[in-house]
Amino acid sequence: MSTLVTGATTPLGQRVVEMLLESGHGRVLAVGFEPASVVQFDSRVVYRRVDLTRARQVRELMHGTVREMNIDTVIHLAMHRSARFDRNKAHRLHVDATRLLLRLSESHPTVSRFVHRSSSEVYLSRNDQPDVLREDQPLNLSVKAGQWIRDRVEADVTVCARMGLSPTLHVNVLRCAEILAPDMGSQLHDYLSSRVCFRPLGFDPIVNLLSLEDASRAFALALHAKEPGVVNIPGADTLPLSAATRKWGRDSLAVPGAWMGPMYALRARLRNSEFRYDLNVWRFHFNGVLDGARARRVLEYEPASPVQWPEPVFG
Amino acid sequence: MLERLRKRLSRSSHRPVFPAAPAGDWWASLVLPEELMARARALRLDDLGHGYDRFGMSREGVAFAVAFVDFLYSHYFRVLSYGHENIPEEGPVVLACNHGGTLPLDGFMVCVDVFRKGPLGRVPRTVVDHFAPLLPWVNLLFSRAGAVGGSRGNFHALLDAGQMILVYPEGVPGIAKPFSERYQLQRFRAGHAELAILHQAKIVPMCVVGAEEQWPTILKLKVHLFGSPYIPVPVTPVPLPVRYHLWYGEAIDVPSRYSPEQSRDPAVVQELADEVQARVAELIAHGLSVREGVFT
Repeated sequence: MSTLVTGATTPLGQRVVEMLLESGHGRVLAVGFEPASVVQFDSRVVYRRVDLTRARQVRELMHGTVREMNIDTVIHLAMHRSARFDRNKAHRLHVDATRLLLRLSESHPTVSRFVHRSSSEVYLSRNDQPDVLREDQPLNLSVKAGQWIRDRVEADVTVCARMGLSPTLHVNVLRCAEILAPDMGSQLHDYLSSRVCFRPLGFDPIVNLLSLEDASRAFALALHAKEPGVVNIPGADTLPLSAATRKWGRDSLAVPGAWMGPMYALRARLRNSEFRYDLNVWRFHFNGVLDGARARRVLEYEPASPVQWPEPVFG
Repeated sequence: MLERLRKRLSRSSHRPVFPAAPAGDWWASLVLPEELMARARALRLDDLGHGYDRFGMSREGVAFAVAFVDFLYSHYFRVLSYGHENIPEEGPVVLACNHGGTLPLDGFMVCVDVFRKGPLGRVPRTVVDHFAPLLPWVNLLFSRAGAVGGSRGNFHALLDAGQMILVYPEGVPGIAKPFSERYQLQRFRAGHAELAILHQAKIVPMCVVGAEEQWPTILKLKVHLFGSPYIPVPVTPVPLPVRYHLWYGEAIDVPSRYSPEQSRDPAVVQELADEVQARVAELIAHGLSVREGVFT
């Protein structure tokens, strides 16, 4: 078995590559945007620098190294990580690159499995939606959703739309809970980087958080998924937003909801931070916890590794 | 009295009642007797490591909510209840109840009653209308006490987990009906029957006698504040101190009568919903016939 991992230079990508090597999974082709000189991988890993927004580079990769290495599985983890990213480039990376990779995989002579990383942000979060989100819950197709969310939904739907259409390609979409780690495009991680974290007065939703360890294990398990389809990947930590803030060593302060948008817009402007309240407004009001029943059945995945909370500091 | 208060203060300051979330338990421990605090500690909770389940319920939240409405339960509405032995101790259960009284105080009373007198470790998960999660603070109180928004996804998740849910199959038309139509059941919706069959849950028909006289309204303002269907204008500034009588009927053993596949048959589902309605109507008729007065 040999695997192509895109987004391999992200913390999740690195951990997935390590896990594949540890499990004796065969050869790994790691793809990232960074030059090979600044990337450190095990000698068993073949690294290629590829800009996935460039169709020619993707084609060369798929028809060149992927074919030569006899890659049979593509784990597509690449995703734009900054809410301040150039809009067109973000769309090209997230949606167009995903579509191209999938199309090339469908007609590829060696690739037989495609695993796409999606996120819980694609689900519609509203007062009339359930607290526990199953895979068949509505997606956030609202025109009011920011591009950050729309791109994620479009990439997810693009992959879902191809499921079952190719007789040879086994497709899985893993909708991961928020991965609370730096450099992962986690809005919540940036939110928690403030000393004082504000939340809307009178609301304290339940959030579910996924550790890097569990996320990477889920992707490793997806290589042996029993059936294609969408699978939620919940994390081991389920707790109110205020409790997560305190466990992260921050102060949680409730302020009128109408203040939140301007306050965080000002913070983003002054501190060049990533967190945008307009992208998170509903999940700062309503519970949204991924249901992991299908992950248990299809992947035999159970969340096992809690988030590494910082050590409490006293005095 | 002072000595009792001092004892409770010393009790709450020496050991956390809820190790997972000790911050606010002192308030509940001041108000509730030790016996009820023990019941709160014994609550079966699908604790995911931080003292909360996936819906936000915590033992501390339940104790807080019970303490919050215990005065209404014990002293204001002076709740009497009958037939707790009909509530199954294990497995998924649907409590199907009539609904009325302008504000859903009947739901609070049923929850407190099952908590106090029902099977140890169980508390019903009340299903609330979609606008409840929009209400600041109210959503928190509801969520921590175990209430959930009325969506099918929540029903599925709770019944899958073997929980007990409290539903009002009459829906909003039940609580919105005029005083002149009190205790006349609106047509039961069939969703609860369908889900009970699908998840093989027993249905316990029950009724609340008293609630439908607690707060007559003179007007319903068509104002959809926070998404509520209307704003009631009651006759009196506060609910009347009626006496509540809760009757729990014999459980309908759905698993022995239906297979999960039959949940797809609308005729079977409607037949069960009609049976539940008939059983609730019987309980109401019995409850009304044996009570001595609205306030006694």
